Amino acid sequence: MRVFVIIFFCFWHSLGARGQQSYAVSDISSELKVRAGAVVRNEELTIEVKSFNQVDYRYKRAVTILNSSADAEAKIAVWYNKTRNIKSIKATIYNEFGLPVGKISAKDFRDESAASNYSLFEDARVKRFNPAMITYPFTLEYEYEIRSRQSLLFPEWSAIQGEGVSLELSRFTFLCGADFGIRFKELNYPGKVVVNTDAKGQKSYVWEVKNVKALKAEPYSQDPSLVMPSVKVAPVKFTFQDVSGSFTDWKEYGLWMNEALLKGKDNLPEETLATVSALVTELKDPREKARKIYEFIQQKTRYVSVQIGIGGYEPIPAAEVDRLGYGDCKALVNYAKALLAGAGIRSYYTLVEAGDYKTDAIPDFASMNQFNHAILCIPFEKDTAWVDCTSKTLPFDYLGDFTDDRLVLVCSEDGGKLLRTPKMRTEENLQVRKGSFVLSAEGELKGKMTTTFAGWQYDNREALIGEPLKEQVKMLREIYPLNNLEIRSFDLQQNKGNSPNATESLEFHARDYALINGGRYTLSLNVINRGRGLREVVNRQKPVYISRGYIDSDELVYSLPAGYRLESRPSDQRLKTDFGEFSAEISLTDNTLVYKRRLRLNEGVYPAETYAKLVDFYQRVYESDRTNLILIRNK
Amino acid sequence: MKGSLLGVLLSLAPLLTVFAQDFQFGVHNLEELDQKQYAADATANAVVLREFGTARISSGSRTPLIFDYHVRIKIFNSKGFDQGDVIIPIYKTDNDRFESVSQIKAVTISQDENGNISRTPLDEKKVYKENKNKHWDHVKFAMPNMRDGCIIEYSYQLESPYVFNFRSWIFQWDIPKVYSEYIASIPAVYNYNVALKGGQPLTTNKAELEKDCFNPGGGVKADCSKLLFAMKNIPALVEEDYMTAASNFRSAITFELSDYVEYNGYKRKVTQEWKDIDLELKKETLFGAQIKKTDLFKGRLEPVLQGTTDELSKAKAVYAYIQKSFKWNKSRHFYSEDGIKKALENHTGNVADINLSLLAALGAAGVDADAVLLSTRDNGIINKLYPVLSDFNYVVAKVNIGDNSYLLDATDPLLPFGLLPIRCINDQGRVVSLTKPSYWTDLKASQKESKIYSLKLELAETGKIKGTITGYSKGYEAYNKRSAIKDFNSVEEYVENLDEKMPRIKILNFDIKNLDSLENSVVETYEVEIDAYDNLNREQISFNPYFMDPIQENPFKLDKRSYPVDWGAPSDTRVNVVLVYPDTFELANKPGNVGLALPEGGGRYMASMEQEGNQLTVSQMTQLNKSIYLAHEYPALKELFNKMVQTQKVEVIFKKK
Repeated sequence: MRVFVIIFFCFWHSLGARGQQSYAVSDISSELKVRAGAVVRNEELTIEVKSFNQVDYRYKRAVTILNSSADAEAKIAVWYNKTRNIKSIKATIYNEFGLPVGKISAKDFRDESAASNYSLFEDARVKRFNPAMITYPFTLEYEYEIRSRQSLLFPEWSAIQGEGVSLELSRFTFLCGADFGIRFKELNYPGKVVVNTDAKGQKSYVWEVKNVKALKAEPYSQDPSLVMPSVKVAPVKFTFQDVSGSFTDWKEYGLWMNEALLKGKDNLPEETLATVSALVTELKDPREKARKIYEFIQQKTRYVSVQIGIGGYEPIPAAEVDRLGYGDCKALVNYAKALLAGAGIRSYYTLVEAGDYKTDAIPDFASMNQFNHAILCIPFEKDTAWVDCTSKTLPFDYLGDFTDDRLVLVCSEDGGKLLRTPKMRTEENLQVRKGSFVLSAEGELKGKMTTTFAGWQYDNREALIGEPLKEQVKMLREIYPLNNLEIRSFDLQQNKGNSPNATESLEFHARDYALINGGRYTLSLNVINRGRGLREVVNRQKPVYISRGYIDSDELVYSLPAGYRLESRPSDQRLKTDFGEFSAEISLTDNTLVYKRRLRLNEGVYPAETYAKLVDFYQRVYESDRTNLILIRNK
Repeated sequence: MKGSLLGVLLSLAPLLTVFAQDFQFGVHNLEELDQKQYAADATANAVVLREFGTARISSGSRTPLIFDYHVRIKIFNSKGFDQGDVIIPIYKTDNDRFESVSQIKAVTISQDENGNISRTPLDEKKVYKENKNKHWDHVKFAMPNMRDGCIIEYSYQLESPYVFNFRSWIFQWDIPKVYSEYIASIPAVYNYNVALKGGQPLTTNKAELEKDCFNPGGGVKADCSKLLFAMKNIPALVEEDYMTAASNFRSAITFELSDYVEYNGYKRKVTQEWKDIDLELKKETLFGAQIKKTDLFKGRLEPVLQGTTDELSKAKAVYAYIQKSFKWNKSRHFYSEDGIKKALENHTGNVADINLSLLAALGAAGVDADAVLLSTRDNGIINKLYPVLSDFNYVVAKVNIGDNSYLLDATDPLLPFGLLPIRCINDQGRVVSLTKPSYWTDLKASQKESKIYSLKLELAETGKIKGTITGYSKGYEAYNKRSAIKDFNSVEEYVENLDEKMPRIKILNFDIKNLDSLENSVVETYEVEIDAYDNLNREQISFNPYFMDPIQENPFKLDKRSYPVDWGAPSDTRVNVVLVYPDTFELANKPGNVGLALPEGGGRYMASMEQEGNQLTVSQMTQLNKSIYLAHEYPALKELFNKMVQTQKVEVIFKKK
């Protein structure tokens, strides 16, 4: 599954221009230096709408690099393409005392293709410059001006900086004439926008943020855009590459999408329609028909990214996908929609922000740059199916953790509607394992185990599908870190039905599993499914966010070698907290040892103070998973 | 790794053999379409059925090199579909000299469930040219209508003004090939050194004379040697972990122009013998001439050399000065980009800019030093049969003081004097002097990757362990340590991060010494408190003395290796733990000592335990003495790690008295 990359999504860390400013490092307040390798002294983004097809962006950023850990902050990269020209670009370097020591002009910038590696074609290019400074601290000030030939998409302004970067001032100014209407959305903005109209009717909107301390990386954090100030602006009326339009809410946006970008792209050759029709003619249930057609598409097409057309938003026509057998997410969704329509099944082109964070479309603010991926929504009488057309292997109506549980824009015939994609509940996200092993007197472990995966854990073994056994063995040795692991047999059964699950059956042996030393037989109880540790965070700031819950259950039966008795065993573990539960229990009867482990993590947002408890929980699981049982030889 | 000179081919005898022709385009047979897997390698997702290429020097305007390429690939399943995303990189110098691709033809032939065969040609409009950067364009296309079991076939012609390396041919890919054939047709006015790289044998290797094939006009006429190279059943090159550059092992034919005859009949030598190269390098504006620019440094060095008395202290001062004067732009070459003067002004440059500056500065300081050309590990090992200048990609300095010599690379400010970065430790380099003939020298790590940890711990009745952990890092380990610390904003934040990574261990105090004095060990001392047991009100407790950073997994998982293991620098790790436990407990088990050595002094692992009174001492030592372990040494190396993983599971049991 891959997203479509659109250059307009690049965050603009800000804008504007303040007068002659001193960049002396001594002027930085001490609190902005805490945990900061770099301090953004001034950032200004000004967007000026000159006309419907001419919008100028002026950007300036001055950043002080305090030491080499923040070198990356001094790398300049400015994107452009055919509709977005760089009019000017330059930079100046200042020393510790704020005195200029170097000037960089447009010719010093490297010019490169900005196409991503997986893209067959993208017209995006980038100008880059990395200053070579050997003494710290120094300040890099750069500015550029871009002329954009469209008024549909505007850069977003956000005060979010990288980890270890603090901010003195960031300002966003939006300028437009009396005839140009805008809507805007402030997220977490602490102040109040300043709006002015001059004598000629020219309007200005100004937002600014001052003195933001540097953030530190904190595991289990939410998307920073949920807490940091940002402003999105959208036009009331716009022009985009000869297409004009207007929308003020999602309903109108959906209508515009249908009309401007999707209309007339659904024609298919008769032959293909006939093939598909023959494929589903025996089936009655529309859901089963849709499943069959989805599988047909998975077989026929593959994902190839080609970004041409309106800012990468316009799908290539269905007939072309049919002919070429490939397309990007938009093209494949549009193709699927056309094929389904051919079989009398209604479905909707759907836009989503894909990724690990569950990012919702903003309900009360319609704008184009809130999405990076397209999926298909297929409504039936009783329920709705969702499919991702870029995967050749996913089950029908299964989105995985890439686009689950978030507000998405469904472009129906009545216009756009926000709907939430299905959520995978903790109880569904299962990994259930049963194993039975024999331990030899020489310390070899030998046996079989069966593991079932469901919910978002369904695709835990997806990478092994279709690989030859030799490759699978290589991968299994990474998954199960047993020394000297020899795989006797491996099998993976996938049930792609309504609640997909996958079952792995494994038969293996591993010599030197147990350590035999000084008359003792030391046995690790759990090498199969060990929890990883979690780092502490001193003075945790952000709430703890567990995006998806799950349950892992392992039951391993060991038959112990004869001639030994128990010397030491770990005590049973039982932990119960708001965010999870853990138990590990051992029972020993005669020579049979049963080890049962269950770990449950609950989805949710918990107060920042909870983090220390989460670390303790992880640590206890980590240690329990590494405990040994020690047997001593009978005298 | 083998390089063999195919020079014999160049002395030609006309042969009677009829040369193979290109196979017909787009003609498939049902057998190929029906094929479900490749018999010789069932793990292949795709296989090249046939590949044919020719390269010749055209008689046309400016006599460009013309390369015709044609391949047919069988795709077994969707994991082989990436073969259908074709990228042809082409080089460009400026608007006048550049490579171009034309006559692209491609077709996908596939068969559906019902046995219907379809052919989908590539749409010419779907061929894209991407302007990648200053020197490279990518011609790209995606094969249409691919499905499991399909056959893809494409051909194109590439025209190039660059004849220096003729056109190399890569026999071995990441997928296997059934048959691959290449014909290089070289006019007698050009003379190339031809080398076969990699471990696969040529199944056909023959030559024939082609009369008057080269007629560029102006009275010039020449015969061509038509060389045919072919291989059958070429296995896929499967990369392994800890592997030096795959290019060392990949089978390929490469060329380097040795001499050619100009229009006026003058024979111009390009590369032939080291003495020619020595002279060429000495005169080269971007090499020898730069090293001679000692005047640039006369003034700059005055403060740097103050207080230095002998040659060694001068060399060290100059090295430190150059290290601090540049930020390396990560580009590698042995020629300066625009001269060291400009690089000095901008404080940045490629490897040559920095290390030729170092040589010039050493010269200005009166220190005897030569340049050493080398090839970095990822660039492959140098073929020493005859000189191929373009095989090198790096230059360092060799300082000679009395009987000692030191290899210096000033691109990294954290490297101590005399220690080359790991990337440069690659077989041998060529010492190039401005006054003497060049010669080979070993590129060996002058120091190991060495660390010693000493833990002095005391278990209190509360269940907590208190004590100190002291770490000494030397050689590459010190370099790694310094680099890791520099990634943090401050030493305090580095330590905080360390503390945060070990939830059971609290760092109460710390001291890190010699962070900036590069020639000494980095010494870290941490005063710690370990939250080991909730209390000691129990009959017995167990303690794993290797809790600090145990090896839980063997890094070597393959049953056997095809290629050597690249271990980087030889390493030496010692851990010494002293634990004082309460008088109320006694040691219940004392695990036996473990010792294991690799053959031929390749390395060893030892672990031992001693008890005296209420003090337990655990010592562990791991030595890996080689940079490269050959494939036959692999089983022993794997077993050594096996033993370590197993030993470190051990638990010491204390019982209440």
